[in-house]
Amino acid sequence: MTITANQDLVATWRDEPAPLLPVLHAFHDRDGYLSDDALRAVSEGLRIPLAELFGTVTFYHHFARTPGGRDAARVCTGNVCRLRGACELLESMQSDGATAMPCAGRCDEPIPVLRGDQVWVGATVDVLERRVSPLPVANPGGLEECVFAAIREPDRASLEGYRRTGGYEGLLRVMGEMTPEQTLKLVGDSGLAGRGGAGFPTGAKWSAVAEAEGHPKTIVCNADEGEPGCFKDRAIMDHDPHALLEGMIIAAYACGAQQGFVYLRYEYPETFERLEQAIVEARAAGFLGEDILRSGIAFDIYLRRGAGAYICGEEGSLLNSLEGKHPFPRNRPPYPVTHGYDQKPTAVNNVETLASVGPIVCNGADWYRGLGCEDHAGTKLICLSGDVQRPGNYEVPIGFPLKTLLHDWAGGALQGRTIQAVTMAGLSGGFLAGEDMDVTLDEPSVRSKGSFLGAGGIIVFDDSRNMVEVAADAMAFFAHESCGKCFPCRIGTHRIAERLRGNGGCESLADWRAEVEDMGRTMRATSACGLGMAAPLVTDSLLKYFPDQVEKHFGS
Amino acid sequence: MHDQLRDMVVAGTVTIDGDAVEFHDGETIFQVARRHGAKIPTLCYDDRLEAFGGCRMCVVELEGSRNPVASCTTRAEPGMVVRTRNEALDAHRKTLLEMVVSENREVDVDPLRGYASQELKTLVEEYDAQAGRFKGAQSGTSNTDDDNPFILRDYDLCISCYRCVRVCAEQEGDHAINIMNRGFETQITTEFNGRLKESACTFCGQCVQTCPTGALGDRKAMRAEEDKAELKKTRTICPYCGVGCSVDLLTKGDRLVGVQPAMDGPANKGALCVKGQFAFDFVQHEERLKTPLLRGEDGNLHAASWDEALDRAAGGFSKALEKHGRYSLYGVASGRAPHEAAYTMQKFVRAGTGTNYIDNCSRA
Repeated sequence: MTITANQDLVATWRDEPAPLLPVLHAFHDRDGYLSDDALRAVSEGLRIPLAELFGTVTFYHHFARTPGGRDAARVCTGNVCRLRGACELLESMQSDGATAMPCAGRCDEPIPVLRGDQVWVGATVDVLERRVSPLPVANPGGLEECVFAAIREPDRASLEGYRRTGGYEGLLRVMGEMTPEQTLKLVGDSGLAGRGGAGFPTGAKWSAVAEAEGHPKTIVCNADEGEPGCFKDRAIMDHDPHALLEGMIIAAYACGAQQGFVYLRYEYPETFERLEQAIVEARAAGFLGEDILRSGIAFDIYLRRGAGAYICGEEGSLLNSLEGKHPFPRNRPPYPVTHGYDQKPTAVNNVETLASVGPIVCNGADWYRGLGCEDHAGTKLICLSGDVQRPGNYEVPIGFPLKTLLHDWAGGALQGRTIQAVTMAGLSGGFLAGEDMDVTLDEPSVRSKGSFLGAGGIIVFDDSRNMVEVAADAMAFFAHESCGKCFPCRIGTHRIAERLRGNGGCESLADWRAEVEDMGRTMRATSACGLGMAAPLVTDSLLKYFPDQVEKHFGS
Repeated sequence: MHDQLRDMVVAGTVTIDGDAVEFHDGETIFQVARRHGAKIPTLCYDDRLEAFGGCRMCVVELEGSRNPVASCTTRAEPGMVVRTRNEALDAHRKTLLEMVVSENREVDVDPLRGYASQELKTLVEEYDAQAGRFKGAQSGTSNTDDDNPFILRDYDLCISCYRCVRVCAEQEGDHAINIMNRGFETQITTEFNGRLKESACTFCGQCVQTCPTGALGDRKAMRAEEDKAELKKTRTICPYCGVGCSVDLLTKGDRLVGVQPAMDGPANKGALCVKGQFAFDFVQHEERLKTPLLRGEDGNLHAASWDEALDRAAGGFSKALEKHGRYSLYGVASGRAPHEAAYTMQKFVRAGTGTNYIDNCSRA
């Protein structure tokens, strides 16, 4: 570990786009932690004040600051894994220095344990194994799909397999036959909207980027998938990585962008390798680079790995993180379409959104619109997990009945149990229970019950579960992930979590309820980003559906 | 800032609490409303810094917006209809204050801690926020053993508004302090969480003066906390260098107990350096010179009258001029001298000795 080696490591990345995260990972991988010397070298090389760099590094959950920290096991103790004994698994591994990590996006598998660059899964320590993440099962309703239509084809993850099964035909058509304006119109006409949860019309977003002044323009793929109970983007990237790249290249063509980033969450190391490989293949085949398909158009994609921070899935935080800044959300407006990466026009899109683009181009806007139920356009991936017979990723027409998905497609509750509640939007949408589970999977329907569909994570809890405990775990997650920028979220998530674990020092249930509701109301109305606004849905819905369990909790 | 705005072109009109108010390009709702006289509470705002949007106390109702918006980060746009106060906003502000108070050891701190140290306390009283609601863990860990004579780091009182971090970066360019960890575990830190002395800190005290809770305290001024005499502020100019920073001297009785920067000082706009901020002990120092001193035959310094001293100096100058000519003399005015004294010095040197060799120590 000589000084020269430090300088070389910095020099490798210094002139690359968005260098901070990769250079930190380079030191982290080399040394097994981030030493003071490493931070000094990075600070000097990237000209970031040392105090700022130190502060930023401590923000990320997975950057270890003590020797050996990088390779110490991290056990997922997310809401779903807790149902399967994650706390016991963690306890059995604690003597080896294992620590807890929030939901690692493998809710369709046994409990994941992250060790360095490898994810192992298993219910107990002696059965931990490494395995390829599950492919989505064939559509149980036999319905036509968009994103998953070709994902089950053999060898689809390789360039060769992808091309053999229709891959990159959308891109070839766009670049061969269509103008950027026609492409924007097609995507707009299709009704495709942000599948990361915000639901903003993709065509409108891309048009805004295309029209915005500023150069270079950037396409950012948000692959941070940090929402508990969400694991659809991982399935796409593991089994169909070129679909994502193709969507990004079409986006670049339509928007006039020169560079692209995939911001991938830390907890997906194998996915990182898959994407890296796919990018190399695409570059070699001329789909990326200085002169794409000899069109004279330049566009390249850079893969960047997060370091353990849910908030980096919020687009402002994500952009700050890419830029090497403290990953606080940004104040909006201005929006990324005009002031995004490096304050230049940027389209930030979710993996699922981008992976939908190729098929939409091939099959047409009307085809995509027609995939939805009634007036709803297109499909949505739903990540189903928890107390259900067949957890996994399902592609449903937007507007599809939740109950059909739960009972007919996924086999319903476990033997001898009934479904007590489901979450929406991972954890962010809070719970639906009772008759309110009789919704269709589209925003108007779910929102009419006070929740939202979001990224499409649905966690099922059967009648054996203590819903206050479930809510406490959920709120503890939000408190752990609150960035600390705005007061209502920073204090509120922590205080509500304290009230769900105990009574928070309240003398009566009425006081308890008033405190939880007052904080919730203010968090919802005044928080600076979606995290703080959504977190109180957990307690709102808990109080709405399970007042008896709350009363019992307070009494105990 | 307001003077500059007055010269700018009006960009449109917004309605603030029922009144039509013109605004200038780039102004935020907060700025327009304050200019109009509306009193919008805030804890993370400092006029001199980029708006941050952290405390959310400044949220206002904006017609057409589902949620209230942070007025400090929202630019005014033509036709906006804004209400800065109503029952719902007051309730949110009160709840926010009660949440903030719940994470701190205390709210009532001595004003000697710093210029802005009473901001939280004032708002808590104004909104009748109750202490004792939202009980739970307290955030922030005090570094009271940070051994420096100037800055108390009492982070039990920190509310994570990051004004200190931002003033250090934006106003001073020092980047000595930053934000460690996240969420409720957030903590103001230096590089590697060390002491200020081992950091890039220049002890300018700007962090202390912008802190709205007294979590950062002016250790020099705090020495006089026990003095029960009334605290008075007197506006003057810092005596140290040629910049001419406006300061408020803090006195109790006839004792100078501290210095605070004048936020409206035309030369400094609230900025000070370590000398102007903390180096005032010489004023009342027991070894401070009170009469001229002359070196006697015995080689020691002895008290003398001004006449004796000036005679000795004049004699010395004359001797040098006689012996070596007019270019043997060079006059340097102290940066701490006022204009009039500097003028007199150059007049004396130019007219009295016939040389143009004059300078001022603030020039470099």
